[in-house]
Amino acid sequence: MKFSPTVLTPEEEQLRAEVRQFLAEELPPGYRPGLGIGAGSDRKFSKKLAARGWLGMAVPKKYGGQDRTAVDRFIVTEELLSSGAQFGAHFVADRQTAPTIMKFGTEEQRRYFIPRITAGELAFSLGMSEPDAGSDLSSVRTAGTKVEGGWLVNGTKVWTSGAHENDYFAVLCRTSPSDGDRHNGLSQLIVDLRADGITINPIPFLDGGHHFNEVVLDDVFVPDDRVLGELGSGWMQVTSELAYERSGPDRFMSTFALLKCFIAERDPASLSTEQQRVVGQITARYWTIRQLSLSIARTIDDGGAPAVESALVKDIGTRFEQQMIELIRDVVEIDLDPQQGSMFELLLAEATLSGPSFTLRGGTTEVLRSVASKGLAR
Amino acid sequence: MNQDQSAIVDVVRSILGDQSTQAAVIAAEGPGWNESLWKVLCEKGFATISIPEALGGSDGDLADACLVLHELGRAAAAVPFVENTLLAGWALAEAGVALPQGMSTMSTGTSKDKLTVTGASGGFVLDGELHRVAWAAHSEHIVVLADIDGNPHLIQVPTALTTIEEGRNLAMESRDTVCFAKVTVSADKVVEAPDSVNQDSLRLRGALSRAALIAGALDRVTEITIRYTTEREQFGRPIARFQAVQRHLVRIAEQTVSARIAVDAAAINASTHLDFFDIASAKIVASEAAGTVSAASHQAHGAIGMTKEYELGQLSRRLWSWRDECGSEAVWSRRLGVHVAEAGAAALWPRISTALAPERGTNEKAGVN
Repeated sequence: MKFSPTVLTPEEEQLRAEVRQFLAEELPPGYRPGLGIGAGSDRKFSKKLAARGWLGMAVPKKYGGQDRTAVDRFIVTEELLSSGAQFGAHFVADRQTAPTIMKFGTEEQRRYFIPRITAGELAFSLGMSEPDAGSDLSSVRTAGTKVEGGWLVNGTKVWTSGAHENDYFAVLCRTSPSDGDRHNGLSQLIVDLRADGITINPIPFLDGGHHFNEVVLDDVFVPDDRVLGELGSGWMQVTSELAYERSGPDRFMSTFALLKCFIAERDPASLSTEQQRVVGQITARYWTIRQLSLSIARTIDDGGAPAVESALVKDIGTRFEQQMIELIRDVVEIDLDPQQGSMFELLLAEATLSGPSFTLRGGTTEVLRSVASKGLAR
Repeated sequence: MNQDQSAIVDVVRSILGDQSTQAAVIAAEGPGWNESLWKVLCEKGFATISIPEALGGSDGDLADACLVLHELGRAAAAVPFVENTLLAGWALAEAGVALPQGMSTMSTGTSKDKLTVTGASGGFVLDGELHRVAWAAHSEHIVVLADIDGNPHLIQVPTALTTIEEGRNLAMESRDTVCFAKVTVSADKVVEAPDSVNQDSLRLRGALSRAALIAGALDRVTEITIRYTTEREQFGRPIARFQAVQRHLVRIAEQTVSARIAVDAAAINASTHLDFFDIASAKIVASEAAGTVSAASHQAHGAIGMTKEYELGQLSRRLWSWRDECGSEAVWSRRLGVHVAEAGAAALWPRISTALAPERGTNEKAGVN
């Protein structure tokens, strides 16, 4: 296992400067930063980013992308995260769906979906978890039945973030009976969230917010040309092939605004030694984890498939972004109120309430460790 | 790592394979250092990497030196590469003074140190004591940074003129108290310290060096823990198959790669400019990792890890010492916290995302035999 410090090119630094400049102009003074991918959706904002060519950066130009690199995408993403911008509208499509369609999709799917994703016009959710299938994803029960020209899909998906705002979701479902190995016979279908037979019910988040949904599919017709990749290859597609693209800055920077506002609201001379220590400790970790995560982006650009490294970094990053909330809380004495307080206090309340999800979403810590340890002991 | 650097790593690792065996590491605990290994490193030119050839060194830079340190840490090698070369040798070289014959040491300073230097006829008189000076008992010279009439100077003191009270760290490496009882040093052993050599730069070089040693030792701890847990069977299967043990392995691997990349990144930048932010971060992350990994690794090993003959103890005892030497994670965290807070919230992200220095091209590469 090897991680190498990454030196950025002048072009990459130039890109960073442009994104930083753009964000300085877009976000008003006093803007309340959001926490990572939970910062919320703003389609207008996503379209502005698209207009600058900052969506689908690693996708080929012929499909509306920029033919740029995973590192370029990393730079744009970390700048967005560091400012707490609302980039939720395009993020799943940009991180996950577009690369999946590029890799496994048909030419027609690429030509239809990718340019619309890179323009910020189409937003995607993920359709994986079910009431009885969480970490044990291969036990999904949502199933497609073959009919003339397509599939009739029935089942229930849960924890579907943004289903109420987005346009499509990529549904993992069973398209043929299990032949003894549950991992066979699963497929991914691209399903229109506004199709007949779809019912979207909000599942209020513990703080009352609306992110999660239950999506019920009742005889939803999905045409044959919306099967994503090979029939029966769904498991391979959702697990192995792109797993290493999922250890980006969104896995360690969710709570960056918390540290920034902590510093902004205090006179440096008034910090207690404990507060000094925590600021230093957290800062050192950001600097280090960023190098690990960036190293993976560069490895992908160089043609590598750092699956184990990626699982490690996601575990390191998500646990860190969660732990830093407690580190900071430990050196301030505040009774948190989700509705009142300074920017820092509001963010600390929000972070405390959303923190547990960091090590759950995109694969729990426990599952990641299992993946990582198998790679280590090999 | 470029080709020259890979070559350095290969040769140093092979020397250590011969000279820093487990038996040699245990044997070095008696005298407090591994003298024969140091002699070989000197003969082959590795002991002077990062010192300009014109001043008796082997060229190369601090990043090259950190690769050597990584290997020394892996091998639990008790040799004075940091103090002789990266502190004393460097400080003298910055002042244009060639490496003296015989081994030198230099301290990065402790809060208990007290030393005054006053002028005398034909030389200078040193009075006071320095604490936890690594390898002092085995050194021919102690290089001291001290003010003379308010101006910092570098003074080469023959160890024979001092009194040494031997001390050790947890791995039984020499860490001695050096007493200067009105020691008179001739004027030719004294030179004005250049701006680049000061207490801060010495501490930074010391901290980066210790972090590099830690990263090397962590690397080896990871290897032997994976090996042990995949070989050791209980309840009919290798213990690495148990989730509870896997949790230790993953934690060890995570902390090890974190320390490694922090050191590598700090070393790249330090080869052109000694940067406080990077080095503080590297020492914080490495020192934290030293504690976490030692604990997890001992837990994964069980009783065998607590024996003198098993390799883990040679590494963990160093980790428990090195994490505190040249400043613990708490010390550096506070300093970094002050630095970051004073720079202000707006400067935070730009600093964290500051690019590493581009690959050096023009520097002299290390020339070793």
